[in-house]
Amino acid sequence: MNPLRKKNQFRADNVEENVIFFFWNNKKYFANKGDSIAAGLLANNQHVIGRSFKYHRPRGIMSAGVEEAGALVTIGNGAYTEANVRATTTELTQGLSVYSQNAWPSVKFDIGSILNVLGRFFAAGFYYKMFMGIPPFEWGRGTKIWMFFEHFIRKAAGLGQSSRLPDPDCYEHMHTHTDVLVIGTGPAGLQAAISAAKEGKDVLIVEQDYAIGGSYLSQPDTVELETQIEVLKQLQVTILTRTTAFGLYDDKTVGLVQVMPAKEYKTSSKKPRQQFNICRAEKIILATGAIERSYAFINNDLPGIMSVSSARTYLNRYNLLLSKNIVISTNNDSAYETAIELENAGATITILDAREQIGNKLLQQIAGLRINLYLGSGVVKAEKGLNTSSIGKIKLVEFANNKWRYAGNLYCDCLLISAGWSPVIHLASHQGYPINWNEENACFLSSGDNKSIFLIGSARGIWTKAGCIQSAKEIFQYNSRKKHKPSTVIGGWETPLAPIYEICLHNIKGKAFVDPQHDVTSSDIRLAYQEGFISVEHMKRYTTLGMATDQGKMGNIIGLALMAEALNCSISEVGVTRFRPPYTSISLGALAGRNRQSHFKPIRRTPFNNFSIQNRGVMINAGLWHRPWYYPMESESLEAAYIREATVTRRSLGICDVSSLGKIIIQGPDSTEFINRVYTNPFAKLPVGKARYGIMLRDDGLVFDDGTTWRLSENCYLMTTTTDNASSVMARLEELLQVRWPDLSVQVTSVTDQWGGCALAGPNSRNLLTKIIDDPSEISNESLPFMGIKQVLMQNVPCYVARISFSGELGYEIYIPSDYAQSMMEFIWENGQKFECCLYGLEALGTMRIEKGHLTNAEIDGRVTIQDIGLSKMASSNKDYIGKVLKNREKLTDSDRPQLVGIFPKDKNKTFKAGALLNEAGYSNGHPLGWVTSVTFSPALGHWIALGFITGGLAYVKDKNIVLSDELRSNFLDVEIVSPQMYDPEGLRLHG
Amino acid sequence: MIQIECPFCGKRDQSEFSYGREGQITFPALNADENSWYDAVFLRKNTYGRQIETWQHTHGCRSWLLVERDTVTHKIFSVKLAHTDWQKQIKKTT
Ligand SMILES: [Zn+2]
Repeated sequence: MNPLRKKNQFRADNVEENVIFFFWNNKKYFANKGDSIAAGLLANNQHVIGRSFKYHRPRGIMSAGVEEAGALVTIGNGAYTEANVRATTTELTQGLSVYSQNAWPSVKFDIGSILNVLGRFFAAGFYYKMFMGIPPFEWGRGTKIWMFFEHFIRKAAGLGQSSRLPDPDCYEHMHTHTDVLVIGTGPAGLQAAISAAKEGKDVLIVEQDYAIGGSYLSQPDTVELETQIEVLKQLQVTILTRTTAFGLYDDKTVGLVQVMPAKEYKTSSKKPRQQFNICRAEKIILATGAIERSYAFINNDLPGIMSVSSARTYLNRYNLLLSKNIVISTNNDSAYETAIELENAGATITILDAREQIGNKLLQQIAGLRINLYLGSGVVKAEKGLNTSSIGKIKLVEFANNKWRYAGNLYCDCLLISAGWSPVIHLASHQGYPINWNEENACFLSSGDNKSIFLIGSARGIWTKAGCIQSAKEIFQYNSRKKHKPSTVIGGWETPLAPIYEICLHNIKGKAFVDPQHDVTSSDIRLAYQEGFISVEHMKRYTTLGMATDQGKMGNIIGLALMAEALNCSISEVGVTRFRPPYTSISLGALAGRNRQSHFKPIRRTPFNNFSIQNRGVMINAGLWHRPWYYPMESESLEAAYIREATVTRRSLGICDVSSLGKIIIQGPDSTEFINRVYTNPFAKLPVGKARYGIMLRDDGLVFDDGTTWRLSENCYLMTTTTDNASSVMARLEELLQVRWPDLSVQVTSVTDQWGGCALAGPNSRNLLTKIIDDPSEISNESLPFMGIKQVLMQNVPCYVARISFSGELGYEIYIPSDYAQSMMEFIWENGQKFECCLYGLEALGTMRIEKGHLTNAEIDGRVTIQDIGLSKMASSNKDYIGKVLKNREKLTDSDRPQLVGIFPKDKNKTFKAGALLNEAGYSNGHPLGWVTSVTFSPALGHWIALGFITGGLAYVKDKNIVLSDELRSNFLDVEIVSPQMYDPEGLRLHG
Repeated sequence: MIQIECPFCGKRDQSEFSYGREGQITFPALNADENSWYDAVFLRKNTYGRQIETWQHTHGCRSWLLVERDTVTHKIFSVKLAHTDWQKQIKKTT
């Protein structure tokens, strides 16, 4: 076919400033402003747009809207590349680069089309059968045939390729609240917006196209459309074009994505390319229109075959007459309006109507025009023309004695199909509103809830324009709070349609497509039936019908109808799969918005952050926290640095930022009772001025968290938690106090951010403390014993000092009000220079705690009991606490549960990693005896050490030879299982 | 996306809240027998329809709430403070 640009008195003429250029596969072409890519390609006589997904068949433009299954293209270059763009809905802009997809080396000659010839093997279930070695692939069973083919198949299947470069554009999120949201700007949508606005409502109307008007745009004149738009503007209705309502969610929430016009976002990088808009409305009106269906016949995917309504759109909206000689195959009245307009534009029309008779009005309308009408006819096969990949000939059938029979050939280069209309009920389906099959109009209908979600116009199955407009007016004609009872009539054709979903004759062979985008054929549906995949959900997954980017907008109903035929039941009995958002694909960028890279999650910096960076600290992300990892001297490596830091700390003095620990103030007359119920060990007799290490269990008896809690005064405590669990412990305490024990008079407040925590560790820690505390007598061994806490003045600033130690050395933690943290740390560090002193980071902290067998989340991983981690002595038997009952469940008290142990390599030069498994020598099958949780080089011991868990613990493996195996790294070595307290087990160093 | 009407903060997006658990669970005394604890911790009704559940207004006032919600339609029927005394006081002041 060779489309012609026509002159149109209502549209911009083909004058010079209206001409733009674009590139199609790097070749320059011209088009008109306002053209879609598809219109621009048609105007330049380009009909093969891409190759199909599985069989690599040449595909052209099949529609003029979002249902497009053939003309998918890639636009833009480099980082701006956008793949799988529908040529039918994307506006051509000056200089736009457009590329064909899924074709190698070119759309005209494609290597993959050999798959078309091997089609028998590529039927539904192909991948699954081949992989499983099921017939016809039984010969492949047990071989690596799948591996061999996989590479080739993965390359051949698929659509466009997106750019691997970072997205250079920005995206935004916004929230909109409105009284009425109207989706769609066709006759019904515009009328609904006008009626709502006239009632004084705040109205937002959205349109997915780049032009307002919906089906108005496909009409020969735009007078009525312009009048309606003028009224809308006067009523100050907000109109958003290029805005897709992609999903309907709970509480009358609609997800909108607005795409900015290409040139706008490129002129200013600050402008978002797309805006993701969460819209909440009191009333949502779905004026989403209907999509014209095709039916299955052989080679119904050839370029040159399109829907009837799209020919109308190309004619009236884009001034393109597709061909001088057009064949229309229809089963309903809607095609005649187009036929008449095409004839008026200069074409000769042949109508094949599947019905055996039509109404007099229609007959009168076409009388005297160059329109040949054949009743009771259809198409059984399309064939390629000579020297072209597009259609050139069709095989006709006629209806006789209740069945189709072959009725000869007809030459044609443009075939238009209309097999009925499918209302766009997707959004109603998202929310699960009932969907019913309407037999007379052969379509699924939904009516929302008629309270706040309404469907109007052709989305409700109304086929006449007047009916569509009336259905919109109706919604606002009642004022009661009662349910709206729509009175407009569904349908509206003179003669009802004659349902057709497939035309086939047993002696004419070939592929008839149901879902052209995923290359699902009518025989695939029958194969699914034969193999038992008869439920719609199974059929969908087995054949992949409706799972391509168009989500089966054209093909789903044909698939259902063919399944119904095979099952000998009605379509309503087969049912329909629930539609899921998004209605059309939306970019991930829009969903992410500004929440990308460092904005993806907030960074928490400790009050000592700047100090650490000034002192060459290398930071690491620990959850949301940015924590100092190590402080390298000159070109020191991580290993060298942490070994030095741990060594200096144990020998003299180290200073560490521990601010990220969770800190919770617990106040109130019942706080002692509360803490006593929360921890396993007794807190009732903890004196004021002392701290205690505590273990917290979950309700199910497993260990939740650990930390020290300080009694600041009679009814006030400071609880510390692990960094990881800070927020979950807080939420847990709040839950206990508000939901479970509202009778306890206790208040909890998180003060994590209010205090900077600084640990001083090592034999010189008290000596340093003496130099920095205003009154050194307060921190002598007698006035501040082990586990003592005290409020002291440092440079006149009230701080807390606690004599607690995670490193196993004589140690203190100083808690400084955050605002003073930076200057205090500088002051402490300056005084530290009087000793051999270092800053140590997370790595050295880890090393020292592993040496001591202290625990972190690597060990307390939510699966361990208090016995497993060797702390059963901390489980009081004299009081009740959370988790006490269920921790005694049978399997949790087994003596052969994995228990915490220390691990040494027998050959002290060997290294290993966390995650390795532990087994008895000679046993390598089945479950391992244990595993390794934390590993470090121990400067104190001079070799690598680890913590881990092993069945039965130290006692059980005492005389056994244990082998550590790390299969992934091929590391196997003999190890010695030791007590987890690997360094200074008596704790002599603690007391300095 | 549902919205929850927090008694303190008003109608807020669900993203500000965290789901807690089924709200009709009554936890036994800390020294109750193993079976009653087992029931409370592990046995769930998994209601299809209307149920009471706990939510926390995590990114708001941090109140724990009792929300009556339909698990099928997500419709919310009522929201109360879980803390019984606080709920009483709120009723008095409004
Ligand atoms: Zn709140």
